[in-house]
Amino acid sequence: MKEKTNKYLIAAVILALIFHGSSIFFTLEYTYDALIHLFFADHYANSWFEPWNYKWYTGFTVQSYPPLVHQSIGALSLIGGLKFGLFTVAIISIILFVTGAYRYSLLITANRTASGYAAILAVFSSSFVETLHIFGQLPSIIGVSVLMHSLPEIYLWLKTGKFKFFLTSLSLISVTVTSHHVTPIFGMLFFIFPLIGTVIMDVAREEVDSFKDVTFGLFLKTFFKQLKKNLAFGFSALFLIIFCIFPYWLNSKKNPITQVPIPHGSRDNFLEITSSGLVFFTIPWGILMFIMPYIFYRYYSKRYICFGLSFTMLTILGTGGTTPIPKMILGETAFNILTLDRFTLWGSIMSIPIFGEFAYRFVEGDLKDLIQKRFGAVYHRLLGGLLAGFYVAMVIFTMSLGYFRPSQPQKIKMLPIVNFLSQDSHDKWRHLTLGFGDQMAWLAAQTKAMSVDGNYHSARRLPELTTRPIERLENSKFKGVAGIGSLQQFLTTPEKYNLKYIFSNDKFYDPVLFFCGWQRLSQLENGIMVWEKLNVPPVSSILPKEDVQTWVKVMWGTIPFLTVLLAFIFNVQSIFVNSLKTKFKPKPAYFKFQNNYSKFSNKVLNALHIWAVVLIITIAFACYMFYIKNETQRSPENVVKAYYDAIDFKELNTSFTYIDPKDELTRDQYLLEISVTDGLLSSYAKLDAIQTEILKETDSLTTLKVETKWITPLEKLTKTEYRTAVKRKGKWYIKPTRKSIDLPPDQLYSKNSTGYFNQGRRRITTEQTHHEDILKQPVLEIVSAKLIKFNKRYSIIGKVQNIDNVPADIVLKGTLYNDDNKELATYNAKHILKHKLMPKEISAFRINFEGIAWSKTKDSIPKTFNPDEFTPVELSEQPTKFNLQAAGNVSNSDLFKDVVLSEINIKPNTISGTLFNSGIQEITIPQIIITFYNDKKEMIWVDNLFLKEGIRQERKLNFNYPIPENPIVKVINDDMSFCFVNGLPNKDIAHKIIPKRIKNHTLGKLQKIEHPIFSYAKIELNIYIGNPK
Amino acid sequence: MFKKVFLLLFLQLIIVSFNAQETNAVLLSKKTTYTVHENIKLEFNIKNDTLIKLYCTNSYGSILLKPTILKDKISFDIPKFLSKKRGILYWKTINFKETISGKISISSQQQPRTLETYIGPPSIDAGGLDYTMLVVIPTDSLDNPILDNSNVDVKYQFLKSERKVPIKTKNLIAYRNIYSPRKSGRMIVSSESYGLNSKEFDVNIMPAIATNFKIYYHRNHDYADGNQITTFYTSIIKDKNKNIVSDGSYIEFYITNKKGGILKASGTTINGVAHTKIIHPDFEESWKVQAFFIGISQSNVINLTYKKVIEDFNTQFFDNNREIKIGPLTSFMDQLIPDGLAVKLFIYKENKIVGELFKESNQGYASFYLNPNIYENGSYRMVVETAGIKKEYNNIKLW
Repeated sequence: MKEKTNKYLIAAVILALIFHGSSIFFTLEYTYDALIHLFFADHYANSWFEPWNYKWYTGFTVQSYPPLVHQSIGALSLIGGLKFGLFTVAIISIILFVTGAYRYSLLITANRTASGYAAILAVFSSSFVETLHIFGQLPSIIGVSVLMHSLPEIYLWLKTGKFKFFLTSLSLISVTVTSHHVTPIFGMLFFIFPLIGTVIMDVAREEVDSFKDVTFGLFLKTFFKQLKKNLAFGFSALFLIIFCIFPYWLNSKKNPITQVPIPHGSRDNFLEITSSGLVFFTIPWGILMFIMPYIFYRYYSKRYICFGLSFTMLTILGTGGTTPIPKMILGETAFNILTLDRFTLWGSIMSIPIFGEFAYRFVEGDLKDLIQKRFGAVYHRLLGGLLAGFYVAMVIFTMSLGYFRPSQPQKIKMLPIVNFLSQDSHDKWRHLTLGFGDQMAWLAAQTKAMSVDGNYHSARRLPELTTRPIERLENSKFKGVAGIGSLQQFLTTPEKYNLKYIFSNDKFYDPVLFFCGWQRLSQLENGIMVWEKLNVPPVSSILPKEDVQTWVKVMWGTIPFLTVLLAFIFNVQSIFVNSLKTKFKPKPAYFKFQNNYSKFSNKVLNALHIWAVVLIITIAFACYMFYIKNETQRSPENVVKAYYDAIDFKELNTSFTYIDPKDELTRDQYLLEISVTDGLLSSYAKLDAIQTEILKETDSLTTLKVETKWITPLEKLTKTEYRTAVKRKGKWYIKPTRKSIDLPPDQLYSKNSTGYFNQGRRRITTEQTHHEDILKQPVLEIVSAKLIKFNKRYSIIGKVQNIDNVPADIVLKGTLYNDDNKELATYNAKHILKHKLMPKEISAFRINFEGIAWSKTKDSIPKTFNPDEFTPVELSEQPTKFNLQAAGNVSNSDLFKDVVLSEINIKPNTISGTLFNSGIQEITIPQIIITFYNDKKEMIWVDNLFLKEGIRQERKLNFNYPIPENPIVKVINDDMSFCFVNGLPNKDIAHKIIPKRIKNHTLGKLQKIEHPIFSYAKIELNIYIGNPK
Repeated sequence: MFKKVFLLLFLQLIIVSFNAQETNAVLLSKKTTYTVHENIKLEFNIKNDTLIKLYCTNSYGSILLKPTILKDKISFDIPKFLSKKRGILYWKTINFKETISGKISISSQQQPRTLETYIGPPSIDAGGLDYTMLVVIPTDSLDNPILDNSNVDVKYQFLKSERKVPIKTKNLIAYRNIYSPRKSGRMIVSSESYGLNSKEFDVNIMPAIATNFKIYYHRNHDYADGNQITTFYTSIIKDKNKNIVSDGSYIEFYITNKKGGILKASGTTINGVAHTKIIHPDFEESWKVQAFFIGISQSNVINLTYKKVIEDFNTQFFDNNREIKIGPLTSFMDQLIPDGLAVKLFIYKENKIVGELFKESNQGYASFYLNPNIYENGSYRMVVETAGIKKEYNNIKLW
């Protein structure tokens, strides 16, 4: 009989191409991973054989990821550019997936119609949609698709022993290996082993009359009979897994992944963190959840028993941290490295044939007859409509997820950044992007410039990064305090990494940049703010790399394409025969084991119904709980929470709806009051946690203590407020708090100030800057410096003055030594220093010696961490001496000084007072730097305080500073002979400008305070202006 | 016997002399000093045409030369790239049993073609202590620094003076330390050597450090209304040579108040004068103000007093004593005090502070509401503080 073309398969492929092929253009670039693959592809397009890439992480090797997909995109990019390559490969992956699903279904069901149904369903399978359109995991899709293609070939080899199939199956396995490493390893475990089991079962079945007669003894006997073929295949596959990506394994051995595990949503408890549950469980399973009993029923039938076990395993592992079982099965290490969503993906792919079969039986098979017989035709139609409706809804929901909850910031035009980096040798320094999301990979692919950050966290090398549970610095604000802490280390000592430019797409990071001594350069035309750090040397022209032998490079560069070529040669004949039907082909061996779909089990139908009811009840209950928890005005706690959430997301109109309607505050007044509020808390904070405690409660009035925790780029803030909630018409509302009504005295006033402009190169030339165009480094003087021990940590404190005639940007670098002059630690001054000093201005400073946080205590990362929290460097020996290097550079930005200390009140252990903004700029973040002196008026400690609110022009702000109680302060060394300014000895350089310094000039003006250890204090003020006008 | 010995000796002599003749090469060219770019040719007289080579080396590099052979003479042409560098060229024959070596000194041309000039630092402080250094390297047409002891004139213009100072090159360069004049301004510097002039350079002479100065204040009235602004400013601040200090110089004003608290304001100078503004206190106050360039100089001390604006105020209790209204708060002409005067309410229960409330006056009044959820019914002691005046109310009953 001549075989006809399977019209379902054709329909599936056409549908897939139309649906996915057109929608990828709107989704793929916004996915998590696609742009990373693009970056790798760019690497191969530029240097096919050289695996070392300098652009990320101060250099890493691309041999840390299987290369096939990247190399394919890279090769195609030579025709039509990188994105052409990306989309072409994506379209290929779609075709491979649909056809693979068909062939795998054909193997399992041995029914062409059922497999056709499966192929169509696979097109819109929610796990596939999610993997492609939300995660963008192309290698994973190609890997699993080719694996599905290989399964029939493996079956045929094992069953028939024809050498042809041995070659075809292995050639396909090797393509899988070179496209994704995890897929074949776990594919062996979860797909191929069950397949081997099924083959044994089939062979055993042929010896007896029915599957019922296959006993365990017979199974075992057949197992040994088949052992030779199985082993031949198994070992060959294993060899291929190792051989095809041998450089990958070599690199893994050389650079083992010794990093702190990065939290991943798939390891969460899905019941607690419902968003993870949605993305990693509900969406990938989708409608399959409803037919779960049928899938288990089919896979636990005797022939498929091994698939049943494997499927159970996948289902359980996919539940992540919801139950402790996955952790027990995988072990602690594997559990923390693997992302568990892949198990759910494979589970859902494994159920495709069964789902197809179910659909077939439901639409035109015995299940239809059974339902119609038992419940009537209307019920069947209704049920069909319901299932189809749910199926379609799931696909639309998944596709739109990226639209309603974008995982990426708005698309950034990269051209201005690329141009900036290539102009004026800016690419001689490293850069960092902030708030770009995964688009940083697209920038990296387009520019020559190097970044300290990167987007492939398994390849990270700097200990500052590998010891943190963060993927990248770029989005450190979402990684809470650990992220910000890590970012701060890079910002404080940028010269270590030759980091000079930062592209910020998120104003959240502005304060930390400013207080770490960075300055705004300009806003690019795409709205990205460029920040610059002075005194950073360019990247050296020769950079270290980890080289590998030439044969490894050749292997890496040639094997992937060779595997594709071989697979094509071995399979080309059957592809043509299968698709064009040029000659009659005998039915493959697995067609012998057809199910005739004649009698759908009544019990299964009942089980399906019961399961569906249970599921619906569970879903309804979950929705109800969700409603109770989130119904905003049902209880005083809810309204407070909702109010703060709305404020946090700047949904001001929503937040106003929670305000007591009987209050005199109008909407306009409310919005106005919020809009004039600036400062650390209102403009740069992210709500981290909120705790409410009911103090007093009546039916209609409740007083709550609200403790909010905010993460700001500078430090973690805690704010305690007392709020009153009232009940009006069954709904709870919150009473508003009002803004200051202080009236400034002047309507219009003026202020003169000195502005500066540095020409840079006076000639328009690409040459190196001319000698006479280079400004002199401003002369600084380190007025005092000493090494102290405060409680258990060492710091260098002191005062530095700009004694030149031009404003200076200050960089202070301290180094500690022991008695044998062995260097112990080096660090820069971070927040406690005015980084911009006007001529003759003086600033106190403190250099903390921070270690790389938690590098020693990997397992005990604190759950809550303050970004300002200090990880003292672990010193092996006692520091006794110090070296202090001050560097000045002419700066013309952020020279705002108009803030006045207009009132002060001293109480035991606290200093409080009022700041007054006397200038014409709105102060965003005021900072108070306090120097403490002992009774002999010797400086012994320096501390600082960031105020939570900003100060508008001619307005006042109160502050309150608690003095550290009972610290142990010890001065270790106050020898200033190793203090240097611009590389010259401090003493000599100052002499030419201030030959006779008046020592201890303002000691008479020290503030007396009441404290057991500190007797005097000196207050200095520093301000950050967020939007200079 | 004698004959034999003689013959033997003679033979030996011949052999020796033959050998000697064979290796004998004589340098013919006696000239050892050249100027750059002259053709240098080394000629040797040689009996035998052995393959002789000449090894030459100078500061630029080394080379092995092949000879040009002319009958019994061989000659070596020193290539241009060596002969155009000033300095000593060493040579040595190779392939001889005994090596002949020598040196040729090549001197540069007297006439410079370019002047390589550097000056730095580009800005110095006035007063004669700080200096900048001018380095001139006159070079000839082949980029060799010209002969030592050549003349270079350093010319500089500053204010009305234009000067020319002759210096000599030594060890390839000529240099001069230019000490700063007493006045600030811009100095234009150039140099000349044998009629060749350099380009113009400038050095900024910045004012030196400030000397002591005076401060003044300005205010609209002397009432402590917590609203108006007092401006402090300095006299024109100059250095010891009467140069006005550079713009942007930072001055700190220290204000010592009645209680010994140190307040602080700062300003930067423009044309030597710095201004700073501070808000009036909202209670009776007297200030002592002094300004500093820390470590450098200071001002005189000025005294200011601020008069009380509020002598007294009323406190009213309503609504079960839970609403407390303070006011009217009136200023010096009995006008309502401008909005924003701080009013504090301290609430004590059994001498323990249980609440500290803060309000700003609005239209001359400030009112507090004591929430019954927070302040239970009972008797409290309350202290109202505003404009430096404290009023106490004992046994206020809330119900």
